[in-house]
Amino acid sequence: MSSWRAELVAVWAFALRNLQMASRNVFLLFELLFWPVVNVMSIGLLTRFLGLSGPEISFVLTGTIAFNTLQVCQLDVAYALLYDAWSKSMKHQFVAPIGVRHLTVGAWIVGMVRGVFVFLLQALLARWAFGFDPLGAGPLPLAAFLAGCFLTAWVIGVLVCALVMLVGLRAETAAWASINLVLLLAGIYYPISVLPGPVAGVAAAIPLTYFLDAYRAHYGFVPEFRAPLRVGFLLAAGYILVSHWALVAAVRRARRSGLLLKLSE
Amino acid sequence: MLAIDARDVVKTFHSGLLGRRRTAALRGVSLAVPRGAIFGVLGPNGAGKTTLLSIFATLLTPDGGTVTILGHDVVREAGLLRRRINLASGNASFLWNLRVAEILAFYGRLYGLHGATLRRRVEQLLEVGELGPHRRVPYNELSTGLKQRLSLAKSLVNDPELLFLDEPTLGLDPDISVRMRSHIASLRRERGMTIVLTTHYMREAEELCDEIAFIKAGLILARGTSGDLKRQIRIGDVIALRLDPPHVPWLSQAPGVLRCAVADGRVHCTVDEADKRLPELLRALHSEGVMVRDVQVREPDLEQVFVELAR
Repeated sequence: MSSWRAELVAVWAFALRNLQMASRNVFLLFELLFWPVVNVMSIGLLTRFLGLSGPEISFVLTGTIAFNTLQVCQLDVAYALLYDAWSKSMKHQFVAPIGVRHLTVGAWIVGMVRGVFVFLLQALLARWAFGFDPLGAGPLPLAAFLAGCFLTAWVIGVLVCALVMLVGLRAETAAWASINLVLLLAGIYYPISVLPGPVAGVAAAIPLTYFLDAYRAHYGFVPEFRAPLRVGFLLAAGYILVSHWALVAAVRRARRSGLLLKLSE
Repeated sequence: MLAIDARDVVKTFHSGLLGRRRTAALRGVSLAVPRGAIFGVLGPNGAGKTTLLSIFATLLTPDGGTVTILGHDVVREAGLLRRRINLASGNASFLWNLRVAEILAFYGRLYGLHGATLRRRVEQLLEVGELGPHRRVPYNELSTGLKQRLSLAKSLVNDPELLFLDEPTLGLDPDISVRMRSHIASLRRERGMTIVLTTHYMREAEELCDEIAFIKAGLILARGTSGDLKRQIRIGDVIALRLDPPHVPWLSQAPGVLRCAVADGRVHCTVDEADKRLPELLRALHSEGVMVRDVQVREPDLEQVFVELAR
């Protein structure tokens, strides 16, 4: 069998596995329906209570929608290893001739499918309840925005996986906690110009900051950065390389330290 | 031709604050396993059996020494090697929500199987593991025996040349253990597979293995066939005699007799070699006018060898 086909089959193995697990887990349905709906509704109602203008509402809701979309996708990537750590079946996949790329890309594909679902659900809700149309920016800006969310999700998810391979299940809370750092820094509910200088510097290192900036420009906000999409994609590409390398190194270390076995017993 | 050629393998685990606590799991293990053999690794808990097997299976990197498996270096050529080996363990675990057939299909895909080939292989494995009626049962609803059979079936998904079995019958009912052992034996017989297994059960080792290595505290203390080991350890054979008169005081002083004890109306003499000493004893007893009514000769079993080595 040609090597590219073997690559695709291995990626598909992890995608299908994540899909099968997701379809049988009530908790994952919560991730898909409950939290996104609750978040959009509560933030939307808050904007109404504060009497924000139309553009301000779109600013805040864009952030909320991006956050939920990113979180769902990122969790799927983290589940690529967490499922095996929880079920103690880690060694069975690492005795097979696969690389971490199969694991993460397969899980990421399912994450993107779930992310698009969450995005559309929230978009419909935001339009119906608060008159903000997240689809109004047009197909290309929308595609770039979603790509930005998913690439950022991949980076965070893979870093969580690397952490699991470094310290074991003690790192599982990072799967849910890490995304909140993005919430604080990437300008989800406010422009990053309101952050103190050094913190704004950190925010400027997060790809999602640029994708949000670019997308909000289509709703009348002046971009804070020049060529935000280009910078966002370049940053994301850099982080993808770094996080992939970090995971490869973490797996190698787990084989040395015996953690790979501990996660299987 | 060797399936496994391990030389001076060393592995130390670090734990505690800053990894200061060190546990030497393997302290210079050398082992050669010929192709097509069933090789047993025996030893008490914490002896290093699973560590050794995990190094062979590329799940653990050795700190020192060299390991060549099926001609591949276990560290530098791990990717190539993984296509040709597989692993099953007695305490195996898989994703709790996946069904039996889905688990086999998932691992099949990891080895590049897809489409009709994958479907055929899954059906074969379901048949081999007698798992057909349970194909739609989620993993967490399977009994221990079924889980173990699934683990063994999964380990055959890539038709490996070398199979590692870590305590394959752990916790199984005796009747299922017997079937599992017969299945393991048939893998070598029918497919020429090399099998390396760890076990606590001496009977299993004695029944299945061509050769056995005893490992303790990270060192191989003895290796050979079951018979070799019994000879090496020199526990001695037992000759049980029903005599008339029943007590013969000089018997324990006879050449080659290590000790004598009376039980169940018999004198149980532990001798260095029963084949050699039995005719001598019978001659001596006959010349002293002692009547021998009944003779039984018993070789030590592997369990006694294990106890002796593990002491």
